[in-house]
Amino acid sequence: MVGTGAGPFSYAPAIALFPLAAFVISLVFGRQLPKKGAIPGIFATAASLLFSLWMFATVAGGETYHETLYEWSAGAVTTEVGAEEIAFSFGLLIDPLSALMLVIVSLVAFLVHVFSLGYMNDEGETGLPRYYASLGLFTFSMLAFVYADNLLMAFMFFELVGLCSYLLIGFWFRTKSAPSAAKKAFLVTRFGDYFFLIGVVAIASTFGTVAFAGEESFVVAAETAIEDGTTLFGFDAQTWVTITGLLVLGGVIGKSAQFPLHTWLPDAMEGPTTVSALIHAATMVAAGVYLVARMFGYYALSPTALSIIAFVGGFTALFAATMGVVKDDIKQVLAYSTISQYGYMMLGMGVGGYVAGVFHLMNHAFFKALLFLGSGAVIVLMHHEQDMWKMGGLKDKAPITYYTFLAGALALAGIVPFSGFWSKDEVLFDALIVGLEEPVILAAYAMGLLAVFFTGFYTFRMVFLTFHGEPRTETAEDPHGVGWSIKAPLVVLGLLAALVGFVNLAPIAKVAGMDITFLEYWLDGEYGYVEGLTYHHYHEMVAFEEGYIGSETTTMLLSAGLSLGLALAGAFAAHTLYNVPEPKRHTTKLGGAYTVLRNNYYQDEYQVWLAEGLTLPLARTADLFDRSVIDGAVDGVSGASLFGSSWVKRIQTGLVTNYAALIVAGFIALLLGLGLYGGWF
Amino acid sequence: MAAYQLPQWAALAPALLLALTGLVLFLIDSISPRSTDRTLLAGTAAVGALASLAVAVWFTAAGVGTPTVDGGEGVIEIFDGQFVVDQLALYFMIVVTIVTALIVVASYDYLAGHTYQAEYYSLVVLAATGMATVAAANSLVTIFIALELTSLPSYALVAILKDNRGSVEAGLKYFLIGALSSAIFVYGISLVYGATGVLQLDSIAEVIADGGADGFGGLLGLGILMLLGGIAFKTASVPFHFWAPEAYEGAPAPISAFLSSASKAAGFVIAFRVFNVAFPLGEIGNVIGFDWTVAFVVLAIVTMTVGNFAAATQENVKRMLAYSSIGHAGYALIGLAGLSADGGELVMGAALMHLLVYGFMNTGAFLFVALAEHWGVGRTFEDYNGLSSQAPVACGAMAVFLFSLAGIPPFGGFFSKYFLFTGALQAATANTAMLAVAAALVVNSALSLYYYSRLVKALWIEDPPATRDRLGQPTGLYAAIVVAAVMTIVILPGFGPVAEAATGAAEALVN
Repeated sequence: MVGTGAGPFSYAPAIALFPLAAFVISLVFGRQLPKKGAIPGIFATAASLLFSLWMFATVAGGETYHETLYEWSAGAVTTEVGAEEIAFSFGLLIDPLSALMLVIVSLVAFLVHVFSLGYMNDEGETGLPRYYASLGLFTFSMLAFVYADNLLMAFMFFELVGLCSYLLIGFWFRTKSAPSAAKKAFLVTRFGDYFFLIGVVAIASTFGTVAFAGEESFVVAAETAIEDGTTLFGFDAQTWVTITGLLVLGGVIGKSAQFPLHTWLPDAMEGPTTVSALIHAATMVAAGVYLVARMFGYYALSPTALSIIAFVGGFTALFAATMGVVKDDIKQVLAYSTISQYGYMMLGMGVGGYVAGVFHLMNHAFFKALLFLGSGAVIVLMHHEQDMWKMGGLKDKAPITYYTFLAGALALAGIVPFSGFWSKDEVLFDALIVGLEEPVILAAYAMGLLAVFFTGFYTFRMVFLTFHGEPRTETAEDPHGVGWSIKAPLVVLGLLAALVGFVNLAPIAKVAGMDITFLEYWLDGEYGYVEGLTYHHYHEMVAFEEGYIGSETTTMLLSAGLSLGLALAGAFAAHTLYNVPEPKRHTTKLGGAYTVLRNNYYQDEYQVWLAEGLTLPLARTADLFDRSVIDGAVDGVSGASLFGSSWVKRIQTGLVTNYAALIVAGFIALLLGLGLYGGWF
Repeated sequence: MAAYQLPQWAALAPALLLALTGLVLFLIDSISPRSTDRTLLAGTAAVGALASLAVAVWFTAAGVGTPTVDGGEGVIEIFDGQFVVDQLALYFMIVVTIVTALIVVASYDYLAGHTYQAEYYSLVVLAATGMATVAAANSLVTIFIALELTSLPSYALVAILKDNRGSVEAGLKYFLIGALSSAIFVYGISLVYGATGVLQLDSIAEVIADGGADGFGGLLGLGILMLLGGIAFKTASVPFHFWAPEAYEGAPAPISAFLSSASKAAGFVIAFRVFNVAFPLGEIGNVIGFDWTVAFVVLAIVTMTVGNFAAATQENVKRMLAYSSIGHAGYALIGLAGLSADGGELVMGAALMHLLVYGFMNTGAFLFVALAEHWGVGRTFEDYNGLSSQAPVACGAMAVFLFSLAGIPPFGGFFSKYFLFTGALQAATANTAMLAVAAALVVNSALSLYYYSRLVKALWIEDPPATRDRLGQPTGLYAAIVVAAVMTIVILPGFGPVAEAATGAAEALVN
C-alpha cells in the first residue's frame, strides 16, 4: 500500500522545508524582525507540526509514501551480491514510524521555539538571529533525517544534525566552557560517525543499494544473502551483516551518547537550556536510537548485533544512573538521566522489543523536553542559578512549574500511571522474557532493573532539593516571575507526559484481555504500512527464544511489580533523605565511591589520556616521518630537477655556430640510433 | 548543402582571403608609404583574419571534408591533388586565423610609435597565408613552398625592432638555423623523390605499397628522417629547438606568440599529414626497417624533458615561456608517437585539441608579456611582483593561462592534456614505449606547475615595488588577452564540438 505522488504526500517535503525557510529568514532578516527571528521559527515549526499531523492522519487512513525525489548520482558498480548498478538519491519514506517521529520532532521543536521567547528573548540575550537560524536548521535536518528513505541521505542529515548541535552548544561562544563543550560534542560524535560512514560504504558496496524499504532495500538484499548462504568479503553473510550493522551502530552510540561515547553529553549542558531540551528530547540524541528503529530489519538479521545493542543499552542505563545520583547541577542530573534513558531504549531495541523501544523514545521525548524546559523555567526563576543546593522551596512560588515538573519526574522515575512507567516496563518485560533464555540479555536486564532504583532516587532527589524544603538562598526566597510563553509549553508537555502512556497499555491489555495496545497496532501496520517495516515482520526475523516464569501474564505482572517497586523504593529513599526542611549532602558519605562518581568513573580522564598520551605521540611520529622522509624525498626530487635544469640551460650558449653543430650532431645521433634499430648497417 | 556550387578553388578561400588581405595592406602602404594609421592597418589585418576564420568555420559546419557517406561534401582536391581541403586543413586554418586575429588586435597597442606599421601587418598576414596554405598542401613541393612562405616573413618579423640589438640578433640566428633546417628538409624531399619518383603524398604511399621503393629502404629512411628534421625545426622540437628561446625572447612579444602558437601548429599539420598520408604505418616498416613512431617517441620524451627542465630555473619570463613552448611541442608530439597501424585517432585527436587550446592559452600568456613590455615593468619574475594590485583583470587572465598551461582543471589545458594522457595509455597496449611517454608527460607536467606557479606567485602574492608608475590599460592588448582567457575557460563546456572536430580530422587522416 505504497501511495503515489498524489494527495497529501506531495506536500511532505514542505515539512522539512518550512524550518529551512525559517533558517534563511532568521539569518538574513533576523536583525530587522521584531522578535529577532522567533516569529518565522514559530510559524515554520507550527506549519511543520500541522503538516506532520496531516501525514499522521493520512497514514492512519491506510496510506504510506515511499518516493525518490531526486537522483543525484547513479552508475555501474561491482558488488558482492551481484547488483550491477547503484543510485544515490534523495527520497522520502513516510511509514507509521517516521510519521510518528515527525509529529514528535515538530511538536517538541514548536514548543521549544515558543519557550525560547520567554527564555531567550525576555532575558535579553544577544545573537538571537543566530540562535533562531540554528534552531531552524536543526529542526530541518532532523525532520529530513526522520523521513529519509535511504541510509546515505540519513547519514548526510545525521551529520547536519551534528553540525547544528555544535553551533547551538557553542552558542555562548564568548565563554570559555561553551566552545570547548561544542568541540567535544562534535569530535566525540564524529568519532562514532566515522564508523557510520564506513558502514554506509560497506553496505553500499556489498548490496549495491542503500534504500531502507522496498524490494530493492539492503535489508531485503541481506536477508536473501543469508538465506542463500552467500559469502560476502570473505565472511559468511550473517557475520558480515553483524560487522556492517555494528559499524553503523558506531554513529548511533556517538549520537545517542551510549557508553563509551557518552562523555560529550553532560558537557553539552553549556548550551542554552532550550537547546538541551531539543537535543535530548527530539533531535540529536534521539537520532541515534531512531536510526536503529529505522533499520531494525537489518539488525534483526543478526542476533549478535542485537545482543551487543542490548548489553550496551543495559550497561549504559545503570552506569549513567549511578552518576546522576551525585550531581548538584540540575541540568547535569537531567543529562545523565538522558544517557540512562537512551540506554533503556537501546536495551528495548536490542531484545527485539521494537515497539517498546519506540514507545520509550516517544514518551521520553515528551517528559525529557518537559523536564528540560521545566529546569529552564527554574533557571529563569533563580536568575540563572543551576546549583540545586542554592534552591529549595520553589513549590509554592511557582506552582505551574512545580506540578508540570513533577509530572515529568514521575514519568522519568517510572511511577504508574505516568507515561514513563508503561514504556520502561515494556522494555524491561521484553528484556526479561528474552533474558530467561539468553544469559547475556539477562545480565543486561538486571542492570536495567537496578537502574530503575537509581532513577527513582536521583529524580526525586532533584525534585525535593529544587522545590521542597526551605529556600536556601535569597534568590530562592524571591524568584523571578515567568511568562505565558514558558508556562504554556510546560502545561502541554505536562499533560502529554502524564497521559501519552495510555496509547499502549500492554499490561492492562494482557490482564483484562482488551485491545488497547494502539501503538503496537500502529507500528504493526494495522493502519497503513510499508511492506517489510512492520513489528510483526521484525518479530518473526529476530531469532531470540522467549521464556516465561509461569504464564506470560505472571511474568509480566512480576516484571511490572519489580520495576515499580524499585522505582518507588528509590523515590522513597530520596524522600527520607532530602524531603526535609534543611537537607544535607548525604551522598558525600559514600566515601571513595562518591569521588569516583563525581569524576564520572574517570571516563573523561581516560579519553583525554587516549588523545594526549596515545594519539598525540603517534601524530608527532607521523609528522616527523612526513617532514623527514616524505618531505625529504620531495625536496630531493625538486633539488635534482632544479640542478638538472641549470645544467640543461647551459646547452644554450648563445653562439649560433654551436647551435648548428648541436643540431647536426643531434640529427646524426638520431639517424645512427634509428639506423641501428632498423638494421641499416 | 550550398544553394549554388562554388568553384573548386574556392575551397582554399581561407588562405586566399589572407593573401588578399596582405595585398590590400601593400596597396595601402604604396598609396601612403609613411602612413602610421594604426587603426586602418590593424583593422584591415584583423578583418582579413576574422573573415578567413569565419569562412573556415563555415566550411567546417557545412561539411567540407566530412566523408560524403556521412552527409558531408567530401574532401576537395585542387590542382590535381597538390592541395586538399579536408577536416584537418580546415581545423588548422581555424587555429592559425584565431591566433592571427588575436595578435593583430594586440599589436595595435604594442606597435604604437613604431615606424614600419604596414610592413609589420602585411608580413604577419603573409606568414599566416603560408600557414593556412601549409595546412592544405598535399605534395612535398607545395609543402616546401608554403613552409618557406611561412618562414621568410617570420625572420623579418623577429628582427623588425631594428633599433633593438636583441631583436636583430635573434632574427639573424633564427634565419641561420632556419636556412640549415630548410636545407635538411629539402634534401629530405629529394631523397624521398629519389626513392619513390613522386612528390604527391598519396602517390608516395601508393608507390611504397606497390613495392616501388623496395631496395631503397635506407635512402627512403634517411629522407624521412630529414623531413622529420625540417618539421622539428618548425615545431621547435629538440634538437632543432635552439633558435626558439632566443627568437622568442628577442622578437616583439606578439610575434613570439604568433611563432610559438600558429607557426608551431603549421609545423604539426605537416607532420600529421606527411607521416600519415605518405608513409602509412605498417607498410613503411617493411621498407625502412622500423616504424617512424619510434622516432616520435624519442623526440616527444626528449623535447618535453628538455623544454620543461630548462624552463624551471629561468629568471626571464619570456624565456621561461619560450622553453615551456618547447615542452608543449613535446606534448603534441605524443599525438604522432601514439599512432599505430590500426588506429590511434584518439591520441592524435587529443594532440589536435591540445594545439587549439594551446593557441589560446599560450598566445594569451605571450600577450601578457607584451602588455608588460608595453608598461615597461621589466623582464624578470621579480619585475612582475605584485602586478595584480595594479592590473587585476590582466593578472587574473594570466593566472588562467598559466594554470591552463600547467594542466589544472577546470581550464581547457587540463582536458587536452588529460586526453593526451589517456590516449597515450591506450596506445600503450600496442606499443609499450608509450608508457614511458605517459610517465614523462606526468613528470614534466608536475615540474611545469612549479615554474608556472612561480609566476602566479610573483603576480598575486609578492608585494609590488614602491616605485612603480601607474599602469595604462591599452584597449587592444586587453581585449585580446581577455578574449583568450575567456576562450581558455569556455572551451571546457564547449569541448564536445572541439573534441568531435579534432577526432574527426584525426580519423579522416589515420584511416
